[in-house]
This record gives sequence, structure tokens and C-alpha cells, in this order.
Amino acid sequence: MRREKSQPNPRPLVTSAAERIGAIVEAAERAAESVIDDAEAQARTYLEESRAEADREAAERRSTQAGLIASLLAEAEALREQAGQMVESLRRAEDELAGKRRSGDAPEPRPEPARASHLAAVADPDETRGGSLAGARLLATQMAVSGSSREEIEQRLKSGFEIDDPAAILDAILGPED
Amino acid sequence: MSLAETQTLEQRYLMRTYKRAPVDFVRGEGARLWDADGKEYLDFLAGISVCSIGHCHPAVLAAVREQAGELMHVSNLFYTEPMARLAQRLADSSLGGRVFFANSGTEANECAIKIARKHAHGRGVSEPEIVSFEGDFHGRTYGSLSATPCLAGNPALGPMLPGFRSVPHNDAAALREAVGEGTAAVLIEPIQGEAGIRPTTDEALLAARQACDESGALLILDEIQTGIGRTGSLWAYQQTPVRPDVITSAKALGGGMPIGACIAGPAAADVLEPGDHGSTFAGGPVATAAALAVLDVVDDPALLRGVRERGEELRRGLAALEGVREVRGRGLMVGVGLEDGIDAATVGADLLERGLVVNVPGPDTLRLLPPLVVDDSQIERAVGLIGESLLVFSAA
Repeated sequence: MRREKSQPNPRPLVTSAAERIGAIVEAAERAAESVIDDAEAQARTYLEESRAEADREAAERRSTQAGLIASLLAEAEALREQAGQMVESLRRAEDELAGKRRSGDAPEPRPEPARASHLAAVADPDETRGGSLAGARLLATQMAVSGSSREEIEQRLKSGFEIDDPAAILDAILGPED
Repeated sequence: MSLAETQTLEQRYLMRTYKRAPVDFVRGEGARLWDADGKEYLDFLAGISVCSIGHCHPAVLAAVREQAGELMHVSNLFYTEPMARLAQRLADSSLGGRVFFANSGTEANECAIKIARKHAHGRGVSEPEIVSFEGDFHGRTYGSLSATPCLAGNPALGPMLPGFRSVPHNDAAALREAVGEGTAAVLIEPIQGEAGIRPTTDEALLAARQACDESGALLILDEIQTGIGRTGSLWAYQQTPVRPDVITSAKALGGGMPIGACIAGPAAADVLEPGDHGSTFAGGPVATAAALAVLDVVDDPALLRGVRERGEELRRGLAALEGVREVRGRGLMVGVGLEDGIDAATVGADLLERGLVVNVPGPDTLRLLPPLVVDDSQIERAVGLIGESLLVFSAA
């Protein structure tokens, strides 16, 4: 008896529960759609930002690499020139010794320590007093890479290296003037 | 708290290592400072070239605040992104190679000294020696101190570390003579800062480079004061005819946060190995985030061009003043040599009274290191104030 009295009308209960479940399902679907929309929007934003970041980093890398390459080229050029000067100095020394040996007043040749002749021409105080050409080129390259203008580099070469006409160096590094 | 009360505390509780000017600064913005009484100053010292992009730059503030709210410290036992990104940026902008982070300039030089000694041992040198110029300032920890001739001679602090010697500044011949097979490194400043802004000549730099090449030693340039745009290029060596093997940086790098860096090019990048060197705090997320923000501002061709142009303007204005004997420097790193009979300390104190902050590194020299963001009107005002002061003391 008590149980029968406590049971509500089954049809309205089913209808009410079905409506609530329907509403819950609908709300859940809306929420899910919203989550999916948000996730897609975030993914799109992330993708766009990642692409922009990758583009920016690639541009920075290219710029840095261009600078480093320019600098390395200048160093390579300087080394090539110094090596040429060293070879020339050694040839002259060899010729002089050969001449002295022929005249009989020179001792037997003794191998020089490697460091004694390294960069000999550039290390000559007379030459470095006004700065070496290799140094001037490296200076110009480094200034160019670090953003100095042609006029600033020209002025620095003239004042620091006493190079009256640095056009050749500037043209080699910056390209010919328009 | 009044200035007098602060001074009382300082005198009671701080070690007496500094002679401070009687000002209690409480706020800064750009090139301006305010003291506790609200008086405004034009800052032509920038915390000794530390606040190079001006006091409380919004980019640095934002970076520090954001990073401090996320993570402040975990030690070098773990990876942190700002440190790695800063290392990449420093290496790519200079010598390539690798970076060791420190907390200050002197620590950055300690790292460089270790690299030099280990590099020399690798060449079979048993007692490696480091050669510097007289007048160089490399720091106050014992390795850097031993490479700082003007301080290393203090017998009360002796003995200094062995293996250091110095030659007269810009004496290329003496430098060549001093460098030999036993030399680990030539450690010099491209422009001597503490000595009163004295540029190292192209000839001396070339001699150093050549002597190092011949002996196998490393050329280390101390860019602690000259670097991070101070001379109008990101690094001062970029306006010289040499490319060093190692550079050291600090001061402006952190925009006010303490950080130092030793950047080694390919010849020296792999010398140090695990266990050779370390630091608890160095390379921490907050300091490196600040440094990245600083580089975002400074590594800008327009800003660096402005540094060169305003430096030229400043030097030209100063050179025209009565009482000025010579003006030295590059970019916004300027030394003013005063005529005989004018006491630089007196002028410096007078300028502070007039609202201009400068430094006096010697009895006849003023040192000017304004923020790199200083504008034309501030340069004009500073030159005007110095001119007014010198008129008084030239006549005295």
C-alpha cells in the first residue's frame, strides 16, 4: 500500500526524464561543438603563429648566415693574401740563401720554426703601423655586416688605415656604388 | 626614509668598499632619474653602462615580470628555454661557437681565463701566461684581478695568481715581444673603460691578433663595457680589423639584471668539458629572458645607427667646450679629457648638483655612458650643463 501510494504517475515521469535527458544531450552536443570549434580555432591560430615564427626564424638564420659567410669569405681572402705574402717572403729568402751559398759565405740552411714566418709580411711593423690590407678588408666586412654605411666604412678606412681611395675594398664587399 | 637615515644605515652595516655620491635614487625612466626628494636628473652613466636601453625599459620589465611569474630558478642541472635561446642569439650574432653564462663581467672573464689556460695546456704549455694592457680593467675576482694591472699591484690583496703580465697600452712592439710559445691568451679591452675611455689602436689589435696566430694563443676581447651596442655596433670588435677567438659580455646584456657571458668561437668553443666550470645561478630564466628582451631592442640597425650619430653629435659638442682638452671614444662611450688645472671630481660633483649624472674615472677625465636611447635634446642639455660647469671651473 505504502509503496503504491508513493509511486508517481509513470507516464509524466518518463516524459519528464526523457525531456531532461534530451536537454542534457542537446547541451552536451552544443558544448562539444563549442569545444571542437575552439580547438579548431586554436589549432588554426597555432598553425599560423608557428608558420610566422618559422618564417621569421628562417629569415633571421638567413641574415645571420649571410653575415657569417661574408665574414668568413673576408677571413679566407685575408688568409689567402697572407699565405701569398708568406710564400713570396720564403721564396725571396730562399733565393737570397741560394745566392749566398753559391758565393760560399752562408751556413747550411736550418729549418725555421713555423711561427717565425707566419704572417711575416703582415707582422712587419712598418706595414702594420698603417694597418694591413687584410685587416682593412676584415674591418670593412665586419662593419658592413654590423650595419655601418658605405660612408662610415670609407671614413674609418681613411682614418684608421690611411687608405686614400678605399673604393676597391668597398666595391668588393658592398658591390659597386650606384 | 631620508638620505641621511639611509647614509647612517650604510655607514653602520655595509662594508666600506664604495665612496658613494650623496644621492638616493628612487626611480628611473629612459635617460632620467629621480631622487628621494623628487629632483630629476639626466643620467649620462646608465649605471656604468648597464641600463643601456634606459631605466625600466618596458620590454625588459615585461619579460622579467612574465618570466618571474612562471619560473625563477631551477639551476643548471636542467634545461631552460630562455638560456638556450639567448646562447643561440649571442653566438649567432658574434663568433659562432658556444656560450657559457655567468652572473657578472668578472665571472665571464674567469671563464675566458680558464678556457685560455686549458687551451694552452692542450698545446703542451705547462705554465700558461695571459698578457694584458696596462690600464685594462677585467674585474675584481682573483683571476680577473690578476689580469687588471692597476689593481693587481695592491700588496694588501696579494699574492695575485701567477701567469699574468702586462705591457703598456697600445704598445704593439711590446705586445709582440711579450707574446710567445708560453702565452695562453692576450686578454684586452677594445676600448679601455675604467681607464677613461681609451680606444685600443688598430695597430695594437692587429699586433695582438698576429702574435696570437703565431704562438697559438687565444685573442680574448673583454667587451663587458663596449658590447651590446655601446659603440654603435652590437660588438665593438665589429668596428676593428680583428676577429677575436673569445669575447666576454655583461653589464648592458641584462638591462639591469645581473648576467655575464663568455662567447667562444670555433677555436675555443669545445675546450671546457663537464666539471671544468659551473655556476648555480648563471643563465637563470629571469636574467636570460631580460637579456633576450635587451637584444630585441639593441640589435636593431636603426638604433645602432642612432648610437653612432648621437655619439658623433655628443663628441662634437663636447670638443667645442672651453676647458676640454680632448674627447675620446666611439659611439656613446665617451671620455672627456679636461685641461690642466680643472679637477674632474669637482666638476663631476657640480654636474650632479646641476642634475647631470656622469662618472669621474680619473683626476682629469669625465666618462659619459648615456643610455643608447638618449635623444638629441638630452644630448644638447648634457653638453650645455657640462659647458656651464666647465666655465665656472676653467675660470677658477
